[in-house]
Amino acid sequence: VTSSRGHTVRRWPSLISPVTSPVHYSSVSLNASSTADDSIYLSESCVKRLTEIINKGEYLRITVEGGGCSGFQYKFLVDTVRNEDDRVFEKKGVGVIVDQDSLEFMKGSTVDFNEELIRSSFQVMKNPKADHGCSCGSSFSVKI
Amino acid sequence: VSKRTILPIRAALTLTPSAVSKVKQLLQAKPEYMGLKVGVRTRGCNGLTYTLDYTKAKDKSDEEVLQDGVRVFIEKKAQLTLLGTEMDFVETKLSSEFVFNNPNIKGTCGCGESFNI
Repeated sequence: VTSSRGHTVRRWPSLISPVTSPVHYSSVSLNASSTADDSIYLSESCVKRLTEIINKGEYLRITVEGGGCSGFQYKFLVDTVRNEDDRVFEKKGVGVIVDQDSLEFMKGSTVDFNEELIRSSFQVMKNPKADHGCSCGSSFSVKI
Repeated sequence: VSKRTILPIRAALTLTPSAVSKVKQLLQAKPEYMGLKVGVRTRGCNGLTYTLDYTKAKDKSDEEVLQDGVRVFIEKKAQLTLLGTEMDFVETKLSSEFVFNNPNIKGTCGCGESFNI
């Protein structure tokens, strides 16, 4: 998914310490936000399930919170409110909302609806920012 | 020496009404299977996790639970772990899953998928 350009751009923040870096880092992250890798992708099964359960004007909101056994975890809920710092990713009439802070931890990943006999639920897959996750996929740790 | 008490025999696994109706629905959709099989597997960050599969026949060592017309089998390996567990089916808008309320477990993972005893 990652283009070669997006890849090199994204390497920079890890080389420069994100806390102390001044101008360079912010200019790089501005660059990075203009690439396609900044978005959230919706899988076919996710779109299908969302069309079934979501009414008009409702969105699936995904937030990243501290918690879970690997440090961070995803939270899913249905929301009707769009805040100022929200980004909306739409596909075939259904939308997923991610706020800017959460997006930093999950940009480039895919939202999937996973159906198994024992459980069916929404999952965030292929998160380029996640290092290693919990087996259930709800919790993850961030690449440093 | 204390007096020996005789306890009534209880099913190794009980199903809640919502679990019964979901299992019924699943088996009606696939009539070639006679029941579901519950097992445990070593996986996840807390040791063990539950597995659930369709089954066509009862294995020799399986424990059979027959409740309200649905059959659930318990794998031999899982019988001790699952003893006294209540199997529930929880459905929300965003997810639907079978939940095992197991009195034997000591701790679970944050998401509840994995556990230890």
